[in-house]
Parts: sequence; structure tokens; C-alpha cells
Amino acid sequence: MLLEVKNLKIYFYTKRGVVKAVDSVNLNVDKGEIVGLAGESGSGKSTIGYGIMRLVPFPGKIVDGQVLFKGEDILKMDEDTFRKNYRWKKIAMVFQGSMSGFTPVFKIKDQIIEVLKLHGWNGDYEERVRELFKMVNMDPILADKYPHELSGGQKQRAFIAMALALNPELLIADEPTTALDVIVQENILNLLKRLRKDLGISIIFITHDLALLSEISDRDYILYAGKVMESGPSEVIFKRPRHPYTQALIESIATLDKDVIKGIPGSMPDLSNPPTGCRFNTRCPFAKDICFKEEPKMKIFSDGDEVACWLY
Amino acid sequence: MRLPAGSIEEDYIVKVDKLSVYFTKGGMFSKKVLIKAIDNVSLRIKNREILGVVGESGSGKTTLGRTTIGLQKPTYGNVYLKVDGKEINVGKSPLKKVNKYVQMIYQDPYSSIDPIMRVYDVLAMPLKYRKEKDIEARIEEAMRLVDLPLELLENRVYQLSGGQRQRLSIARAIAVNPRYVVADEPTTMLDASLKGEILKIIKDAREAKNISFMLITHELPIAKIISDRISVLYLGKLVELGRSDEIIKNPLHPYTQALIDAYPTINPELKDKIKEIKIKPDIVRPEKGCVFAPRCPFAMPKCKEREPELKEVSQGHYVACWLY
Repeated sequence: MLLEVKNLKIYFYTKRGVVKAVDSVNLNVDKGEIVGLAGESGSGKSTIGYGIMRLVPFPGKIVDGQVLFKGEDILKMDEDTFRKNYRWKKIAMVFQGSMSGFTPVFKIKDQIIEVLKLHGWNGDYEERVRELFKMVNMDPILADKYPHELSGGQKQRAFIAMALALNPELLIADEPTTALDVIVQENILNLLKRLRKDLGISIIFITHDLALLSEISDRDYILYAGKVMESGPSEVIFKRPRHPYTQALIESIATLDKDVIKGIPGSMPDLSNPPTGCRFNTRCPFAKDICFKEEPKMKIFSDGDEVACWLY
Repeated sequence: MRLPAGSIEEDYIVKVDKLSVYFTKGGMFSKKVLIKAIDNVSLRIKNREILGVVGESGSGKTTLGRTTIGLQKPTYGNVYLKVDGKEINVGKSPLKKVNKYVQMIYQDPYSSIDPIMRVYDVLAMPLKYRKEKDIEARIEEAMRLVDLPLELLENRVYQLSGGQRQRLSIARAIAVNPRYVVADEPTTMLDASLKGEILKIIKDAREAKNISFMLITHELPIAKIISDRISVLYLGKLVELGRSDEIIKNPLHPYTQALIDAYPTINPELKDKIKEIKIKPDIVRPEKGCVFAPRCPFAMPKCKEREPELKEVSQGHYVACWLY
């Protein structure tokens, strides 16, 4: 196993109380695997990504849990060791809206070279930039441009190139295609699939777009209000989901073959004061007494599906 | 000659006639460039119709919407609003005259409503400004139409969730009984679980209040579900227009075809496959000829020379492409 997240808890200490954004989350990523983290806004999906990078923004804190990278707990290391040996070198991240993550005043090339220099890359910097640009299907000439001279899709690919600069083993892609047009979106998906095949890199794909996710992931974690509701192979999650939330979420996706889309009535609970029992109980059409009293445990099914729901 | 659907002379609320909107970019440090945000577009929106406008970023869809309600002046051409049998030239009339009949719903409910206002005031202010009567009743009606509980009237906007805020912005738009509303990406910022509800509210508002809508979106399925007809814009040009089901089932323009092919579906079998996309990802604006020619897989020599005109290929289905 490349990455094992065990019982991860990330809380935000706000004036209004402690917001349990990520609450006892377990997840695994194998070598060469593309794993989806999906959920609505406020589900905690991005926070998990930041947690793995040890970049949880203030006033958030990793409260408990382990993040094992090849068996080594990266939460136990001091910041220096993590920065030198792990962040960007072994685990890199493409941030949400990273298209605008380049400084406008330097050429793309120089920004990537800075990453290489800081991490003590051995070899020719210019050559590496050319190599990286070819990897993401871009003409290396574009590396000589300033960010504003590139289109949104080109900037996103350039940022992926920068994330790949030090040959990481795990790439966390947080909404890498949001704000891009459909054709460019599919282009980025194809690129990520090819990188996995050619480099054997593992990818955590964080998104709210389930249709898009279904086209790329091997396994998925469906998150709601800081908890994993269901996880399993994509064929199960998208074709025969068991959790009422996963089912409702998939029904609400707008795709071209649908004539109506159903919504999920209600809204996500306040995470500084989450409901007792199952966190989905306020919106679940099947909620019974026990759902309001006790939190359901994960049940494992023979098709690889894991579901936290009292229906099973 | 049989009149094509959607252009029946009498029954329209908005008539866009050979509209062009140009912007200039640069000038201070770089060469001045003319950007044709909308280039010679003609279309009509029928009474009680929801017209979907789709296209990628930079296609001019928001500019088109803003021009139809007078927020942007046409460079060439005209926009007419026809209310109670009278035509108003939107670009040439004072805003106050146009504003009586039109409203807009914006994409981001977090920035389009003042967060510290009371919900009641958000709805009451435009009604008071118009010196309307029965303000209480009108507010209640609007709240009911968008499915917001009346208890929320005393709350402040910041206490509402994203979905509630978008409902409020719809309520604000329809409370003043407009005849025509431009909804600019009303579902884009919302979670999937909320989009369906918002679409239903817009449809209900059309039924209850006889409002015509222009619905701008980059999400094709949303346009398909809610609109009667869809118009496809590409780099300021209207490239295809027709009944929604017809556009999705039988797209004619290579650009529309590519958009539909690329749109993600729930398909876990695709995970190890590369999805073939026939057109190049990057937008190139040609100097002459068809605007789509640089990306088009079917481009012929003619396409690079001359611009195709919009023509009716089957009843009510228009396309601007040399293939037809």
C-alpha cells in the first residue's frame, strides 16, 4: 500500500465552535491507482488532501490519526524532514484553481526551475522543463511564456507539469478541471490517465463532479459532512451504490441522457454541532430510529463495497 | 413561405437583430485589439419561452444576456423588447424604461446579494422603489414560489445556505413581475443536489407568472432539461439554434457535436481508456472565414475563406456551417 490514512481527524477551531471537517476518515491508495474523493462542498474532501500535504490552513488542525506513506507516518515527522523529503518530492498537489497559482511576473519556465533548484534537482534544469512540458502534451516553447499568455487549459497543464517536476509517487489533484470548459476537461482527464499508465503514478482525484470522476477512477470514497459514507470500486459505486446518499447524489448528476434531475432536499448539517447518529439522517428518506441514535459502522461486502448505513 | 418556429412575427418578447458587441483590449502597453464578443447575432425569444444559451468561456453568452436587458450597449444592431404590443429598443431607451420589464439572476449568490441585509428587505426594496402596492402579499408569493419558508424573512442573508441564497435571488428577480429574465449560470455555483430544485423553481416561475427566460449555462444537460430551445454560441457567433431535444439528439454543427461527445457521462468502463476528442482544445480566433475552422475536423478550403451564414436545415433547426 502506497498511502494509508487511518482515523484522520481535522478540526477547525473557529469562534463559533469546533468544526469537525474531517472526522475519523480511513482511506487507502495503492501504487498506480486512481482514487476518487467525492462529495459536495463542505464534505471535507479538499481538507483531506491538505491534511496529507500537511498544509491544513489556520484555524484547522490535524487532531488525530495517521497518514502512512509506504508505512512511514508522515504526521509524526518534523516539518523540516517532511518538507525536504516528502512534500512535492513524493507527494505533490494540483490545487483547486491552480491555474491562477503561477505568479504573473515570472515566466512559467523560471517558476518550475525554482522548484527544481529548491529541492536540489540533479541535472539540466532547462532540459527537465522541456521533458515535463512534453509529458503534459505541451509545446516546450510555451514554457518561455508568462502565465497570462496561456489559456486556462494550458496553465492547468503547466501546473500539472510543475507538480510532476520531482517525480512524485502520489499526485493529489483537487478539482483539477473545475472552471475549465468540457473539451479541455476531457483533455486533462486523458492526460492524467496517460501519466498513470506511463509513470505508474498514483492519483487522488478530488471532485464534486461524479460523472467526470466515473470516467477516470478505479476506486472512490463518497464523503458527506466529514465522514466516509461509502467506498468501493467504481463499477460498484456508480452502477450499484448501496448508501442512500451515494444513490441520491448519482441521481442528481446532470447528464445528457436525463430529462429531469432530482435534488436532495435539505442541506448539510452544521459541522460544529453535527447530529448524533448518522450525519446524513436529516436528509435521508430511509432514516429510522437507530439512525438518529447511533453512528453506523462500516460494513464490508463481497464486491469490495464498504458502506456505513443502518440499512445493511 | 412557412415561418420557422421561434420567428413567428407576432409572438416574441425579445428580438435580437444583427447584434454586434465589440470591446477593445490593450492600448496602454500593448497593441489595441478589437474583441468581437458578439458578432452579427439574430434571434428571438418567444413569450413564455426558456431559451438556453450554451457555449464555452469567451463565447459571448453573458455579453448577449446583458445586452438584451440594456446593461451593455450594442456596437451595431438592435435589441427590441416587445411588451403589450409595443416595441422598446433596449439599447436606445433609458434604462429606467427597460428595467420595468426585465430582471437578472446572477451566477454567484454569495456576491449578488448584500449579506447583511434582512431577507425581507432584499425583496421589499425593489418593490418599494417601483412604488408597488401589496408589498407583503407580493413578498409572500415570491417566497412561496421559490420554496423558502416565511420564517426566513427576518433572517439576515449571511445566515442562509448557498441554495437558499440562490432561491432568494430568484425570488428577488420575479417578485417585481418582470416579463423577461436573464439567468446567468444560475446553477453553476451550486452542489449537484441543489441544481434540480433551482431548475424546477425557474420552470414554476415561468408557469405562475408568464415570464420568458434566457438561461445562460455552460452545462449542456442543464440547458437540455430546462429550455425549450438551445442556441449554441462560439466566439461571438451563433452557430446552431433549435429545439432542445433536437440539438442534443441530432446536433449538426461540428462544434455542438464535439461539446456533446465530450460531455462526461457516468461510465466507469472508461477508466483505462483514452476518450477520443476530435477537436483541438485551444481556441484560435481566425482572421477570416468560419470562426470554428481552426479547430474543426471537417474544415474545407472554403471554410477558411468565407463565413457560413445561419440557415434553416430542417424546421426550426438552424446551423451556420458549410457542411449543410
